[in-house]
Amino acid sequence: MSIQKTDGRATMRRRKMLARGFAGLIILLFLFVSVFPFIWVTATSVKPSPEIFGARTAFRLIAENPTLEHYKVVLEKGLLRSVLNSFIVSIVTTLYVIFVATLSAYLVSRFRFKGKTFLMAMILAVSMFPQMIIVGPIYNMFYSLGILNSYWVSLAYSSITLPTAVWIMVAHFKSIPLSLEEAARIDGAGALRTLTHIIFPLAAPGVFTTAIMTFIASWNEYLLTFTLNTDANYHTVPVGITALRTQFTILWGQIAAATVIVIIPTLAIVLLFQKQIISGITSGAVKE
Amino acid sequence: MKHNLKLNHFLFLAPLLIMLAIFSLYPIITSFVYSFFDYRTTNQQFNELRLGSALNGDLLAENASYVGFYLNDDYDLVDAEGQAVFDRVTEESDRIAEQYAGVTDISAADEEAIRAYIVDARQSIDAVYSRFPDEDFWRQSDLKAIFAGMERVFIESNYVGLEHYQRLLKDTRFFKDLGHTAFFTVMTVSLELILGMGLALIMNKAMRGIGLVRTAALIPWAIPTAVSALMWQYLYDGRSGIVANFFAAIGLIGSPEQMLSTSGGAMTAAIIADVWKTTPYMALLLLAGLQIIDRGLYESAAVDGSGAVHQFFHITLPLMKPSILVALLFRTLDAFRVYDLIAVLTGGGPGGSTETLSIYSYKVMIEQSNYGYGSAIVVGMFVFVAIIATVFIKFLGADLLSDS
Repeated sequence: MSIQKTDGRATMRRRKMLARGFAGLIILLFLFVSVFPFIWVTATSVKPSPEIFGARTAFRLIAENPTLEHYKVVLEKGLLRSVLNSFIVSIVTTLYVIFVATLSAYLVSRFRFKGKTFLMAMILAVSMFPQMIIVGPIYNMFYSLGILNSYWVSLAYSSITLPTAVWIMVAHFKSIPLSLEEAARIDGAGALRTLTHIIFPLAAPGVFTTAIMTFIASWNEYLLTFTLNTDANYHTVPVGITALRTQFTILWGQIAAATVIVIIPTLAIVLLFQKQIISGITSGAVKE
Repeated sequence: MKHNLKLNHFLFLAPLLIMLAIFSLYPIITSFVYSFFDYRTTNQQFNELRLGSALNGDLLAENASYVGFYLNDDYDLVDAEGQAVFDRVTEESDRIAEQYAGVTDISAADEEAIRAYIVDARQSIDAVYSRFPDEDFWRQSDLKAIFAGMERVFIESNYVGLEHYQRLLKDTRFFKDLGHTAFFTVMTVSLELILGMGLALIMNKAMRGIGLVRTAALIPWAIPTAVSALMWQYLYDGRSGIVANFFAAIGLIGSPEQMLSTSGGAMTAAIIADVWKTTPYMALLLLAGLQIIDRGLYESAAVDGSGAVHQFFHITLPLMKPSILVALLFRTLDAFRVYDLIAVLTGGGPGGSTETLSIYSYKVMIEQSNYGYGSAIVVGMFVFVAIIATVFIKFLGADLLSDS
């Protein structure tokens, strides 16, 4: 009887160990699958073209004659211009989106007013629309204003970034206790003063999260810039890098080198601001 | 305690409302409007929205000046009575031409009046010419041509009502693309949900190395879709692509070239690339839902002797239903409107086998400049998006918008 019991325990322990091992294996597999494309592309970026296309050398991780030629070529082709454009457009978008979203999220989270549910429903609906529905009219609008091929494209980004920003910001504002504002109010501070002196400092983490999420969304935007800014001088990273492909052959070495270059900013953001990104992804999505 | 709003507080809301109005609501409404017109920006007859008829004033003036010029040439060949008729027609045509410059909208009555003038002028001049059958006039045939040309000064309304939607209902390409879109959506979202759930459950248990896993999960999500699509295009390349060659080596595909050159291969390629990019994101969303479940529930269930599988279906799943539904809603809509990934990876090919509704509408609207029909396709897509959203929100209840 007692022997059986210890036997059972041993099986349990073994089973637990097995489960752990299995979980560990899956995690390792996941890490490998997630990271492998980046490693492979980095390896390709230093291979000379004959090695990339050669049957014998195409699938070797380490280049036989490593070269920085591809990096040189894509930099000469003006890739840094695209990177600069991406920074300009994304920073401008982030700044005005934060301004607009902070003001409205404060109002939505702190006041009762008619049509609030309607407003939030509308914002949610806008974030659900197929983005394609705005492209034609926006193109015509920019065409008739003569602002195709310019940084004004940033304003059109509001359609994809603002709804999410307001949504995240409202969730953050709601989690800030009201009592502090009550005190400020009793002291006679108005709504704007309460917002700038009491709420904003408390909401800073939320604002920062929203900024990061907006920046990433703008950085990744493809459709609007591709359509509105056909001039290579105004290409952002996603558009500029796809424009490196030529019609007949694709020089993978150049694509790989360009990929490595443009991934660096994203990588930096992810490594520095993981916490904010995860909070941004999950706020509003988790329902208790 | 919340406060009631004072009027000046609406200033806080103004920037948001203005931005939304200009860059979201106006374009959406305009797309609906476009879909009722035969609106093509590359064709002069159709490059504006016209509810009523319009008149090309410059063309009219040009024709009118020729009328006067030609009649003048034949002026001395007719008698005084005929000259009076010529004077009247010339005066009349100059008077009408003066009223219009450029392309202008005109009322039905004005159009009627101009058409009546053309008929009257032609008949009066014919009557004069016919009184002199033996005379060899300089300009008799030229005038005929000018009056025929004058009919072209009218630009008809390009309002087509529901015609585009009738065409859409019979458009086999639209329904084929709807099929591709639905297939892509169902496959990616369900794979991402299952794999993401598995990952989330493991991440929820594992203590060590979780930070590393999170970082690894965020990178595919954070890089631009266009860049990851390009990266996968390389990995799938028939000659140098390691993934295509690996799949061929283990017998999943006949040869590496088939990955992007056959319809099944290309669709699979797009699905894998999307699952690779989005599963980690799904896992993070679900992990957040998992972490708010009270651990005590599992402990008491374990005391009652229920196993891990039983716990998953009786505690985890029911409690996570809202988070799962929210994640599913946003992922489904994202997958349904997929553009960047497919535009860069396959461009909709080979032979249209990976063409989704977004790709189709973009080709018609932007590449062919056919805004009218292109917008009808977008509106068709919009209807499906609305249906998907409504169904999910019904399941979710009013949770999403609750003010708590």
